[in-house]
Formats: sequence, C-alpha cells, structure tokens
Amino acid sequence: MVSEKSHLGNQQEPVQEEPKTYLLSMTARRGPRSLPPIPSTSRTGFAEFSMRGRMREKLQAARSKAESALLQEMPTPRPRRLRSPSKKELETEFGTEPGKKVESTQQEIDSQSHSRVKFRDSARKIKPKPQVPPGFPSAEEAYNFFTFNFDPEPEDSEKKTKASHREGTNQEEEEGEEEEPPAQGGGKETDEEELLNGDDAEDFLLGLDHMVDDFIAVRPADYESIHDRLQMEREMLFIPSRQAVPTYKKLPENVQPRFLEDEGLYTGVRPEVSRTNQNIMENRLLVQDPERRWFGDDGRILALPNPIKPFPSRPPVETQELSIKGELETMYKKAVKYVHSSQHMIRSGDPPGNFQLDIDISGLLFTHHPCFSREHVLAAKLAQLYDQYLARHQRNKAKFLTDKLQALRNAVQTGLDSEKPHQSPDTIQKTINDYKSEIRQTRKLRDAEQEKDRTLLKTIIKVWKEMKSLREFQRFTNTPLKLVLRKEKVDQKADEEAYEAEIQVEISELLEEHTEEYAQKMEEYRTSLQQWKAWRKAQKAKKKKRKQAAEEHPYDETEEPYPEEDLVKPIPPEPTDRAVIEQEVRERATQSRRRPGEPMLVPELSLAGSITPNNQCPRAEVLRREDVKKRSLYLKVLFNNKEVSRTVTRPLGADFRVHFGQIFNLQIVNWPESLALQVYETIGHSGPTLLAEVFLPIPETTVFTGRAPIEEMEFSSNQHVTLDHEGVGSGVPFSFEADGSNQLILMTSGKVSHSVAWAIGENGIPLIPPLSQQNIGFRSALKRADAISSIGTSGLTDMKKLAKWAAESKLDPNDPNNAPLMQLISVATSGESYVPDFFRLEQLQQEFNFVSDQELNRSKRFRLLLLRSQEVPEFRNYKQIPVYDREIMEKVFQDYEKRLRDRNVIETKEHIDTHRAIVAKYLQQVRESVINRFLIAKQYFLLADMIVEEEVPNISILGLSLFKLAEQKRPLRPRRKGRKKVTAQNLSDGDIKLLVNIVRAYDIPVRKPAVSKFQQPSRSSRMFSEKHAASPSTHSPNHNADYPLGQVLVRPFVEVSFQRTVCHTTTAEGPNPSWNEELELPFRAPNGDYSTASLQSVKDVVFINIFDEVLHDVLEDDRERGSGIHTRIERHWLGCVKIPFSTIYFQARIDGTFKIDIPPVLLGYSKERNMILERGFDSVRNLSEGSYITLFITIEPQLVPGESVQEKFESQEDEKLLQASEKFQAECAFKFPNRQCLTTVIDINGKTVFITRYLKPLNPPEELLSVYPNNLQATAELVARYVSLIPFLPDTVSFAGICDLWSTSDQFLDLLAGDEEEHAVLLCNYFLSLGKKAWLVMGNAIPEGPTAYVLTWEQGHYLIWNPCSGHFYGQFDTFCPLKNVGCLIGPDNIWFNIQRYDSPLRINFDVTKPKLWKSFFSRSLPYPGLSSVQPEELIYQRSDKAAAAELQDRLEKILKEKIMDWRPRHLTRWNRYCTSTLRHFLPLLEKSQGDDVEDDHRAELLKQLGDYRFSGFPLHMPYSEVKPLIDAVYSTGVHNIDVPNVEFALAVYIHPYPKNVLSVWIYVASLIRNR
Amino acid sequence: MTTASPSVFLLMVNGQVESAQFPEYDDLYCKYCFVYGQDWAPTAGLEEGISQITSKSQDVRQALVWNFPIDVTFKSTNPYGWPQIVLSVYGPDVFGNDVVRGYGAVHVPFSPGRHKRTIPMFVPESTSKLQKFTSWFMGRRPEYTDPKVVAQGEGREDAETEIPRSTWVCLCPNPAWLMLPFCPQ
Repeated sequence: MVSEKSHLGNQQEPVQEEPKTYLLSMTARRGPRSLPPIPSTSRTGFAEFSMRGRMREKLQAARSKAESALLQEMPTPRPRRLRSPSKKELETEFGTEPGKKVESTQQEIDSQSHSRVKFRDSARKIKPKPQVPPGFPSAEEAYNFFTFNFDPEPEDSEKKTKASHREGTNQEEEEGEEEEPPAQGGGKETDEEELLNGDDAEDFLLGLDHMVDDFIAVRPADYESIHDRLQMEREMLFIPSRQAVPTYKKLPENVQPRFLEDEGLYTGVRPEVSRTNQNIMENRLLVQDPERRWFGDDGRILALPNPIKPFPSRPPVETQELSIKGELETMYKKAVKYVHSSQHMIRSGDPPGNFQLDIDISGLLFTHHPCFSREHVLAAKLAQLYDQYLARHQRNKAKFLTDKLQALRNAVQTGLDSEKPHQSPDTIQKTINDYKSEIRQTRKLRDAEQEKDRTLLKTIIKVWKEMKSLREFQRFTNTPLKLVLRKEKVDQKADEEAYEAEIQVEISELLEEHTEEYAQKMEEYRTSLQQWKAWRKAQKAKKKKRKQAAEEHPYDETEEPYPEEDLVKPIPPEPTDRAVIEQEVRERATQSRRRPGEPMLVPELSLAGSITPNNQCPRAEVLRREDVKKRSLYLKVLFNNKEVSRTVTRPLGADFRVHFGQIFNLQIVNWPESLALQVYETIGHSGPTLLAEVFLPIPETTVFTGRAPIEEMEFSSNQHVTLDHEGVGSGVPFSFEADGSNQLILMTSGKVSHSVAWAIGENGIPLIPPLSQQNIGFRSALKRADAISSIGTSGLTDMKKLAKWAAESKLDPNDPNNAPLMQLISVATSGESYVPDFFRLEQLQQEFNFVSDQELNRSKRFRLLLLRSQEVPEFRNYKQIPVYDREIMEKVFQDYEKRLRDRNVIETKEHIDTHRAIVAKYLQQVRESVINRFLIAKQYFLLADMIVEEEVPNISILGLSLFKLAEQKRPLRPRRKGRKKVTAQNLSDGDIKLLVNIVRAYDIPVRKPAVSKFQQPSRSSRMFSEKHAASPSTHSPNHNADYPLGQVLVRPFVEVSFQRTVCHTTTAEGPNPSWNEELELPFRAPNGDYSTASLQSVKDVVFINIFDEVLHDVLEDDRERGSGIHTRIERHWLGCVKIPFSTIYFQARIDGTFKIDIPPVLLGYSKERNMILERGFDSVRNLSEGSYITLFITIEPQLVPGESVQEKFESQEDEKLLQASEKFQAECAFKFPNRQCLTTVIDINGKTVFITRYLKPLNPPEELLSVYPNNLQATAELVARYVSLIPFLPDTVSFAGICDLWSTSDQFLDLLAGDEEEHAVLLCNYFLSLGKKAWLVMGNAIPEGPTAYVLTWEQGHYLIWNPCSGHFYGQFDTFCPLKNVGCLIGPDNIWFNIQRYDSPLRINFDVTKPKLWKSFFSRSLPYPGLSSVQPEELIYQRSDKAAAAELQDRLEKILKEKIMDWRPRHLTRWNRYCTSTLRHFLPLLEKSQGDDVEDDHRAELLKQLGDYRFSGFPLHMPYSEVKPLIDAVYSTGVHNIDVPNVEFALAVYIHPYPKNVLSVWIYVASLIRNR
Repeated sequence: MTTASPSVFLLMVNGQVESAQFPEYDDLYCKYCFVYGQDWAPTAGLEEGISQITSKSQDVRQALVWNFPIDVTFKSTNPYGWPQIVLSVYGPDVFGNDVVRGYGAVHVPFSPGRHKRTIPMFVPESTSKLQKFTSWFMGRRPEYTDPKVVAQGEGREDAETEIPRSTWVCLCPNPAWLMLPFCPQ
C-alpha cells in the first residue's frame, strides 16, 4: 500500500488533492506530506495505466491519507518544521495585500488561465489581512508559482524571476520553504511538499507542463466565521426573549387586569406550561399580533382548561389494566354490524358484564299443534273467543259509550234549556253543534261495539255447540273445557221502556240530522240549478253564433271543441221520511242489541269437564295421545343472534301447555341488538326441530325485575305436518264435516309467556347499559346534579333533553361541579356534536394529503414509480427514477402509451400484411390474459431457491459412495456428472454464459473451380424421382478431376451469433472439418430481469453460420509477389443452423448432429464428395443429402427451467375416459419414465380434450392436389411443404411456463402460427385425407426436444416427417432428427411404446403387436367413438396475388434499405441487371422447391454476368414478420464485404399459397467485377 | 452541478464492523455487502469486503474484534430501497471446513451522525436431525444461496425453516453521514 503511495506525485495529484486538503483541518492537511517518500517501483508502467489502475490508485491514496491523518493526530515530533509564532492566527486566512492584488491582476491578464482567476476571486472573498511582510510573495503569487506554465513571458516581474530561479534546484527549494511565510495557503504548501518529496525532477516538470490542471477551478471552501453567521442570523431571525412580559404590555392601555377567579367565578385549571415557554410565546405574540387578541382579561394567554378535544374522533378502545403481554395479544372477534348509531361499546372504567338482563320464561302454550284433535281445535277456538270475551267484558266499551252518549245528551239538553246570560248565543250554538256531532260519533261507535259483543257471544255459543256435537259424535272427550251460560234475569218492563226510549231518542236525533242534511242539500241544489240555467243560456247564445259562423264560412270545418261539459240539470233532494228512519233504527237495534226482556247471557268457561280415559278411546285417538306424550320442547335464548342459554326440555302436556318457569340472567356488555327465543321440539329420540322463533322486545330502561308483567308473545311456524292418527296436522287441510267440505288449514302456533326486564344491582342501581357512551362519561356528574331524577333515565339518551333540562334548572355554569356537564352540553348544543359512529383507519388522511389526488396523478415521477411497482414490462427494471418531474423525459412514457393506444388498433406497418397483424394482436391478447391468470404462482420461491442444503444420503447413495472408494481414480470411460443447477433469482448481467462447442461438420459444400464456367451442366435432365431413389452416382465423377491434388476445397469456419454478440472458430480445411472449439457467448436477459418467467420468454435465436474463408490475391503487380503478400479475406456464407434460446433453456443442453440449412443454390459451390475417402459412409447417408454439423450447446451455469403450472383444467370429456387416461399415463410413466405419453391436451380455451379428437382426415387445398394429380408421393411432399410454410411459434414463448395449448387445424390456419403439435396435427390430417396411413409420433428430437412428428406407412416402409421443415426421413435414416419415440397417436387410438428401445432405428412400428405397443383402447375399454374437435372440412380462401406482389415490393425496398444501413461507411451499389435476372430466377426455384436448378441457373448467370465474380444465394423462409427476414439476411453477412467496387443484387419473391400462407424467397448476391 | 445531469442525493457511509460475540466459536471472519433498491447506485468506495480472521480476546469479554472499516458512498433519487448492510460471518468447524456462523442485516442509519448497531445473527437450520448430523459431519451446513437474501423480502413464505439461532450478536457501529441532495431549486 505504501509503495504505491508515490503515485500521489503524478500530474493529476494537485487537482485531486487541493480541494480536499483545504477541507481538512490544518494538522490533517500536513499529514500526508510528512511521510517520507519512497521510491516507486511501479512507475515504469505509468503510461500504460489503465483506467482501473488509476481508480485503484485514487482509492489507495484516499485511504493512505486517512491513515496518515490518523497517525498525525498522535503527538509525534515533527521534524523540519519551523513555524513563526504568528502562524497560528494566520493559518486560516489567505493573506493578500490589497495593493499587491491590483498589481498582480495586471500582471496576469494574458497568461493566466481562468482557473487562477477563479482562485483569485475566491481568495478575494476572504477578508484581506494586510499582514504579510513586504517582499514576501503573497499566497496568490505562491500559487501561481507552482501552477504556472513557465514559458518566457514578456513582462517578467521581479517576483517571477525569483520564482523561476527558485525552481531551479531542490536545494534552493528547501531554503525557499523556510523563507515562506507560514500564512500561505494550503494549496501552495502541498505543492511545495510534492516538490520536496518527489525525488524526480522530471516528474515535477511533467506536472507543471500539464496545462489541464490549470483549467480546473481550485478554491477553498467558503468559510463563514461563527460571529459573522451569528450576526447574519441575528438580522434574519427573530428570537423572542425569554423574559417575562409585564402585564401592562399585554392589555389594552389603561385597563386593569381582572381576575375572574378572585371574583368567585370558576375558570377551570389551566394546563401546565412551563414559564419560559409561556414567556417566549407571549413575546412572540406581542410582536406578531399587535391587537392582543390572544390575551385574556387577566393579561394571560387564553387557555382552555383542557387542550384535549372534548369529543373523541374515534370510538374509544377498551384499555383495561392489562399487562404488556396482554396488550399484545390479539383477540379474535367476529365483525359486528352496527345497525344503530347510538349503540356503542361501553367506555373504559365501567367494568364490563356489569349489566344484567333478566329473561323469565314461564311457559308455552300451543294454540295449534299438529297433534291437536278436532276437538282441540275447537277448544282452542273456544278458549280464544272466551279470552276475547273476557277482555271485552273487562273493558266494557259498550257500557262506557252508552254512558257517554247519555251524558252528551244531557249536556245538550241543559245547554238548550238554561241559557247563561254571559254567554253569547253564538258560542252556545257552537257548543251544541259540537255536542251533537259528538253524539253522532259516539252512537255509531256504541252500535258497533254492541254488535261485536253480540256476535262474539253468538260465536262462542256456536262453537260450544259444535264442540258438544263433536264430542257426541266421536264418543270421547279430549278437553276438559266446559261452557256454562249463566242467565241473568232482567225486569222486562223497565227493560222494554228503556229500549223504546232509546229508540225514540235515536229516531229524533236522526230526523234532526236528516233535516239538517236536507237543508244543506237544498242549498246546494239551488246554487247548482242557477249555474245550470246560466249555462243553458250561454249555450243557446253560442249555438246561434255558430250557426251564423257556419253560414259565413261554409267550408270552415274547424269546429271549436267545447270544453264545458253538458251540465246535468240538478235534481232536488227528497225530504226524509220518519217512518223509514224508524224502521231502520229498529232493525239495527234488533240486530245488535239484546231484545227487551231477553235474559242477559254470561258465558263461563271452566275446565271442569272430564277427559275420557285412554281405554275408552278409539285407536286413532290413543295413538294421538301417545304421540303427544313423545313430544317435548325447549327454548333457546338468543342474544344478538347468539345462543346464550336454553331451557330444560319439558314434555308436551296433554293440554298442549309446557311449563318452564326459568329465569335467565344475562350478563351483558353492550346494549342488546336483538333478543329472541327459539322454540325447539323433539319427537322421541330424533333430533330437535326448530318450530319457530319469537323475537322479544328489548325492555325500556324503566322496566326492572319484579315489576315487569308477564307478557305473551305469539309465534307461529310454517311447518307442514301430516299425521296418521287423530291429530289434524299442521299446514294441511282438514275438515269437521263428514263429507270433507268446509276445509280448514291451521298452522302450528302458540304463545310464549315471558317477561324481560333489567336487573337491579345490589345497591339499587339498575344494571342498564348506556345508550350512548357520552352519558357514561358524565354519569357521575349527572348523578350529583341529580339529573336522572329530574329527567329520567331514558332522558340520558337524548342530548337535547339534557340541554333543556340544564337550561330549565338554571345550573351555574361557573360551578366547578358542573363544569364537565356544561362542557358536554356546549358540545351537544353546538353544531359540532359530531361523534363518529364508525371507525376509520386513516382518519387524518385528509390532513396528511399534501397534494390533491389529481395533482398526484399528474406527477410524472409518481406515475413512473407506480408503473414500476406494477411491473409493467416497459418499466419493470427502470433504474434511478429521477428526483424531479422536470428531469423525466416525456419520451419515457411514449412506448407505453403507444402500446396502450395500439391495443385495439391494428398496426400494419410492422407486419405489412394485415391479416398477420391481426393475428399477432390476437396472440398478444391471449397471451396477456393467460399470463395474468398464472401470475400468482410465479411469485413464490422454493426452499431450495433460498437455502443450499446437502441432501440426506440414503442407503443407496451411501453404498454408492462406499463403492466409489474402490473405484478407479481416472476411469477410462468417465461418466458425466450432473451440474449444479442455479435458480434464476440472484443472477445478474454477465452471470450466464452460453457455451457452444462446435465439434465438426460433414459434407460442407466445396468451391467450384473457376474453370467450371466453361463446362456445360450435365444434370439438367435429372428426374424428380431420382432424388428419392437416392443413388450416389448422381454426382458426376468428372468434377473431381477438376481439383488438382492438394488444392484447398473449402476453408470453413463457424460463426455463432447470439444477441448480436459474434464469436467464431478458427478456420479449418476441407469439406469435413473438425474444429472442436468451445465458444462462450454472454447472455443478457431482457431488462436485466432474470426471473424464470422472463427467461422463458426470451425469443432470441442462436445463429450458427458456416462460412468459407476465401483468400483473394489482390496484388496487382506480379513483380511484388516476391516481397509481400497482399491478400483480401472474403467470407462466403454457406449455411446456417438456428436454435432458439428457449429450446436450449428447456433442454439444458443440446447435443447432436444437425443438418445445416444450406440454400438450394450456392453460387460458386457445389456439393461434391470425396468418393474415395467416404465411400464407406455413403451407404448410411444415402437418403439424406446435405451437410451436417455436430454441436454441443449448453448454458453455464445450468438454469432450472420454470416448472409448468400443474393446473387441473375443466373438461367436457367423460369422467371415465379421463380416469382411464390418467391411469394409462401413470402406468406408462411407471414403466418408461422418459418416454413421452400424451392422452389429453389442453385446447385454446383452456379445456382438457382427449388427444385423438384432433386427428381426422382434412382436405388439403385443391390447388396443391391438382399439381401432381397422379403422383401421390409428390403431392404428399407438396402438402408437407405447405404445412412447413406456416410460421413456427413455440407455445413456450407465447405462454411462458404454462402449458402446451393445442389449437385445432382451422384455428391454426387462422392464426397462421403454431408450434410442432399444430403442424404435425395438420400434416397428419392431410395425409389421412390423402388416404395414407398416418400417425402422430410423440417423441424427442434434436434440437426441439419433446416434439411431435408424423409417421406414414408407404409401400413397404415407414417415413418420418418433420412437420416444421417439411423434410422426411426413412425409418433407418441415421440423420433423422427424431431420436426416440414415446407414443403413436392415431385417429382412434393411442399406442405407447413398450419396446426395449425407443430409437426409431431400432423399433418396430407395427402397432398391431400388443407386445410392442400398449394401446389405450383395447378389448377391456373399447373405443367409444369420440367425435372430432376438428371442423368438417377446411375452407381455403384463394390467396391474394396482388397483395403478395405488393408485399414483395415493400419487402425488397425494406431489405435494400437495411443493407445500406448496415454498411454505413461504404457506398452500396445495386446492380439492376443482376437483380432482374435473379428476380426471374426465383419463381423457378419456388416451382421446383429449390431443387436441381443450380446448374441451369449458374450457366445462365454466367452467360449474362460473365465479367463478375459472383457470390450469393437464395434464402427461403415462411413469412410471419419482417424482422426474422431481416435477421436472416443479416446473419448471412453479405453486407460485410468491403471490397471497394462491390455491387449488390437483391431480389424478393413471394409465392402465395391458399389461406394466405406465403413462401418468401430472398436472393442476395454480391458481385465483384473481374479485371 | 450542471442542470444536464440528473439530481441525486448522496449517502456516505463510513464505519466499521467492530466486534462480535460468538460464544461458541473462534477464528471467525466476516463479509459484508450492501443490498439496495433500484434507484440506488454506489458511486465510491467498496460495496463488499471480507475481513481478516480474528481470534477471541483473552479477557472476560471474549469479543471477536475486527474493526474492519466500511466506506462507501451511494447516490440515489429515492429513499425507497435504502441500503442495508448484510453481514455474514464464517469460521472453521472442528474439521477445518469453512462454514457459515451467522447472517444478519440492518439498514444503514437514516439520520446522520454516529450510530452503533447490534445485529442479531442467525443461520438456517437443517430440515431434519439426520440432515443436521450429516451436514455437520460433511462440513456442508445449509447456507443461503446468496447472503443478500437475508435483506430481501421475497420468498419468506418458507420462512419456517430458518430458525434464528438465539443470541449471538455482532456489533457494527455505522457512523453514517447523510449528505442531502444538491438541490438546485
């Protein structure tokens, strides 16, 4: 650390150090300099210091400085330091003489950089202290001395020379140092130190020459002395004094302080405030508020006795004397709905459970019960009527009314008779009229009452008669009821007289009434008659008028409507007839009144009757009685809907009465909300049934135990009971009559007799919970003022009443005893008496809202934070959100807003073709919704994600490890060990690498010698079928002769590009190169988000391109050949392999030999084979021509792919089928865990569907069928090609980590995107419709991993089709990408591979052999004939040729622009002639599917462009978007040629297939003119 | 301070990991690192460090004294995600394997000045007795995939497996200087 210290001396040092040193204190400042210099060892490499090195240095410097500062603090003797005694006081100041400053300013005009000006300015800011002795350099000069550029200056002052002289030697320097006034600035001193310490003069000069330092402002920290600051603060701030303010200042002039307390008034206790604070406040108020509003009469600050808000802002919480632990305990309490605002929990202080409600349940009586016999029904009726009678009798309303009537009549009589002189006749008349109307009213009421009485009596008698007859009929008696009618004799004569008199009086009264009425009516009649007459007259006049009008305007049809209705001529009222009235009166009297002379009947109901014993009863009745005996009842008491107690169970009596006689004391805390009783009935040993619920009224606060009357509450139940015995049941019709007529329906009903009252405590205080908490708080005060006695307990609930009472009783508001009460009243009466009856969590939220919601939403920063926390993809990992709104660029949101806007708008620009744009949008939306559904599951981590823990070794592992001890240390065949898997959680950029090991390649195309252009191709007539015959002799051997022995055929190298990072191998030679190189490519997750979800959705593709490195001799002069090599390296693209990252991620590693995607035409190259060397290999490779590359790709460290969410999806399949499929899968997985077995899949709606439903013959497009009508194989290939042209979109990318969704073929064709399954299903369906035997093969392939292929049975052999590429392989093809087979799926069955091997080479595809293939539907589970989910047939629109042509033009334009963009430093010329040639050629390629046109084409091109060296190739892709096309063109690297005279040609051809499937051909070529 | 660069505020932390109390262990060393939110970035100083191995003091205190300095400066635009210092203490077990002896985290103090923090340390427990034995035997104690997880809230759903190990404490005074933002208002 110390050795590096010498770096402090480099030229950057002053800049770095000066400001810091200023900041430090004096002692600290000197610290680092006093360390002895140590010769540097690392100086040599100074110039080569990397940035990192420098940073480290700085760090070290800072650190060592700090250390030395620490050292310095220790009292160590400091050598070589002389200080003048005046130093101490001067140290902190820069001494500059004002006069000298002027001088020096003039001096420095031209030569000094502005940094020094700055320095000077800052120096000037400090108070100048002219204490520097003359002749000594000022601080500024000293500074200049060390920072100056010592060029010869025209105006060299004396001091400058001195300075330069001083600089000369170190020796003098030291002297100078001693001369230096200590008052000089720290900057100077440090520099000086450096000079001293640096033992190298060169270094010093270097430092001086470095002008950059001069441009950096160097100035000391601004320092304000404490006095200055205090002074300034004194000016700015007002500090109120702490002195007590004399009283006269606080009061208006000439006012004596008045002390209310002395006058005997109650003022309350002022809150405790310290004297000093009060003084400060008073002083402040005096200055701030000259009006002295804040001071009271006594000269003190106004103060409330209690600063606490008088009413609570939230309901108080119970704070009992609990221990701290108890407070922390959480109690579970069910949420209670507060219905009434006045019901609160009681306040603290009053112990809970103090209140008591006594519920006395005395008994139960059924007025109807299912077990009632008919007699019981009647008896109940009778009892009820008798009760009614008794009640009426008790009140005796009729008698009362009769008396009243009598009194009124008398009054009228007397009123008429004795006129009092002092009363005006008017008043008398009025009273009489009043009386009369009253009489009328009363009479009516009396009549009604009398009638009721009479009918009641009649009914009672009737019911009793019925009962008697019933008893006779059934010959037994059930009820003890007995009705006795007592006759009371009356004096017939008197009775008759009274009767007659009554009638007479009534008649006369009625007559009077009628005459009055008559008079009134006559009056009315007259007025109306007059009206009528007037109307008649008017009518006539009008008629006349109209007639005239009609004559004048004969055509005027507009007749006025006559609004006034035709008045009817009124009829005069008839006078009343006395006889009629009399008759009426008499009739009524007979009806409602006892006839004169008739005895008065008084019914008496007694229970004296005897009940027939059981043995004399019929069987049904006995059954009924037994049934009754079996029944028992109990009641539950419900308080606030919770059961608090229940009565004992009592049997039901024969008289249907149950006696309980229990009193329940409910200890309660709250005001009851509801009180109810539930009646339960038990029959025999069965469970209780709820009969009914009776709600009891909550008693008034005045109802206390002992005084409460027993009340009866009726209840009824709606239960329906039919019994098979005498019992009438309930809710069912029954009849008393023999013929069943006159039916009755009775419901179970009854009465509960109870009483509810408040208990009274020991000291006589009623135990009633308060209605409002406020009352509790002041109850003690109220008690003292005896408010209860004056207004009653219930008055406490009413604030207004209380206030009224207070006002009436004229309380002394100044009495301390009344203070709380007064306060309460003041609160209650003022409008503020707002006590919240709710609990609000953030009750003060409003006050803390520093900004309104709108404003908050407008804030860009807030929005950014919000969006980030919502994990909106654009902002998910946004770093360093700016502090201020103004620093947030508007464009941050642009993308996001655009996306929001575009959600429903179809953007055609990017996709060019509308249909695909719609599809892309649709997929996006489906994806979003699906992802949202599964978002929750993503958030959790497993234990293994957090904690690394060794697994428990079980016996087998222990055994193995023991076994390992005996193992060879270095076995000959080492086994691969599994790597440690890493969860994606804690990764960051640069942690993940993609390792690509390129092993070797086979059959790379070789260069064609230039001579070949004179050769005419001999293979033009090759038959189509020859390819399938696959004879190796197709390649004419004469080509081999072209190569001179030893000449390089091809020099291929491999370039891997991933995420725009490019790596390449070294160049190998020959068509079968072996590189065996490992390339390492860094991986960056999108947005730096390494979560599993984000990794799964990475869409990047690893491009593995194979190039040929061509060396061109560019020596123009042959004479120079001896002395120099001048070649140009060109690279020619040969082919590529594309592997999506998602595949690597899910597969963890990819290992195998892949077919290189080589363009059908590679100009200048041919696929030649060294016949001699590879003869032995040919027989194996005959079916698949092409080039292959062996690769091994993996991710380091190994990532754990996210587990797909195992979700049970709903299904419409038969439950049995689902179970069978589960069983089948479990069995298969048990036997062969590695083999894929699929029985059910999830369709696009998220439903489970049985897989065979997807397979069904579907018609391929007609267009394709008509091409080769006779050649089935060719048609099949064409169809496969058509399917492969549908773009590939892996499900795992669109539905990351969720599951495979299978879409049906029509959905697939509509979406025009899908993964292997969809392609395979469609292809299989086409094959089925072509009449082939076809199956879906589920298995593993490289590079796809688990995938679906199609297997067909051709004559005698099987073919395996890759649906995504359209290629097909024989069963025994070594290069078939399908590596193992899990199961086969046909339209009607599934066969699981139970053979020993699963490689297609080694298995038998004959599914009829049950030993080799386990079928799903077998004899035990026959195929149920599942209907297909596929449509009946596919409908193909003819593709739009014009649109395709348009798209073609646009594509070409875009690609050309792109190529020019990629060559920013070069001119890009386009060779039109060549382009048009290529354009003609592309349709041919499409027609022949890219085969066998090479030679013709080459010949043609050579003919036309003979002068050019030509390299280029057509690319063929299915069309999905523009971006993949651009990427493909980019990856070929055509644009990389930087030969100055290069020209380019680019042609695009789009061939439309039905249903908008487009095949895109892009021909890119570069041309170099041959000299 | 130019207007072009965004305004930030700086948080300078300097202090030291002073000492620890691990009654059962000796010869421990400690690592520290910082965990901070998205809006934070270190501008100077060391974000993580590893201390020397220290032995117990011979006196009654039996303290393990490191006095290991921490000096780092952060800049930030948002107090959300305030830095936390994560300490992890390692030491040899009876077989000489380096095993973790404790994890702990604490927020950097919010107010400027001299602060002293005592951090309780804990280690994850083995999920079973057998595993405890084997891990002890093999010297592969359960440990966090990354010490930083102790300062993160994610994945605490499985927290029942991490049992805080009683009362070992590590003293870490953090005199932190909070430099408030250069706010050109």
